[in-house]
Amino acid sequence: MLTDRGFQKVINMAGGIKAWNGNRAIGPEDTGLYLFTGAETLPQVLIVAYSLEKGLQDFYLSMTERVIGEAVKNLFEKLAGIETIHQERLITEYRRETGTYLSQEEFETTQVLGAMEGGLTTEQYLELYEPDLENETEVVSLAMAIEAQALDLYQRTADRTNAEDVRLALMRIANEERAHLKQLAGLLD
Amino acid sequence: MRWLQFFRKVNSMDALAARAFMDGLDGAEYNLVDVRQPGEYQKGHLPGAMLIPMGDLEERHADLDPTLPTFIY
Repeated sequence: MLTDRGFQKVINMAGGIKAWNGNRAIGPEDTGLYLFTGAETLPQVLIVAYSLEKGLQDFYLSMTERVIGEAVKNLFEKLAGIETIHQERLITEYRRETGTYLSQEEFETTQVLGAMEGGLTTEQYLELYEPDLENETEVVSLAMAIEAQALDLYQRTADRTNAEDVRLALMRIANEERAHLKQLAGLLD
Repeated sequence: MRWLQFFRKVNSMDALAARAFMDGLDGAEYNLVDVRQPGEYQKGHLPGAMLIPMGDLEERHADLDPTLPTFIY
């Protein structure tokens, strides 16, 4: 049907999702979309994205208090550190877009919302994946599941956005999540 | 009935090759479409896939860029 409609290259993924050995996202199409109305300006999207990254970072940091093993504590710190880099990128873009200079502290006090990356809460992620938090492989797998969910959320939001600058920003953020996923996969090796 | 579409060649790629292909691209450089039903999508889907059930493709194909490689599952 699509080739009939002028699609130049249509590729059927043999075996469908059953054959897919990468990460998956779950939930209906509107999962997490309460975070985005679709009418946000670019700075508003950056605030939401930053808030989601911050929520995840806070989760990782809270886990360092909760786990016992030294290696897994270090792993959670490392995961929190990855989120810091992403946050810095987002705040830099926010400053450039708005022409205002807010320190990170001011930005977090005045702008940041309480939310968790991917649009689910910490409890929902823990209930869904029931990870053994003392097991490094399971912790990385949990982090990958969250990043996959976040990538999915940004992509779905981009698909629903009409403003081109906002859509491109969401695609950029989704691509950063793709890069995070690869980085996390590297930790499993 | 458009009989020609039944004979048109559609490329097929296994999941491993598709993943490697997509990994090498920016997300804006391909379409990824889940043509299953919403209940199946809800249970698990490829991150970033757009849900367009097979029966809706005729109506919604304009949501996709026809110049990009389009992965379907």
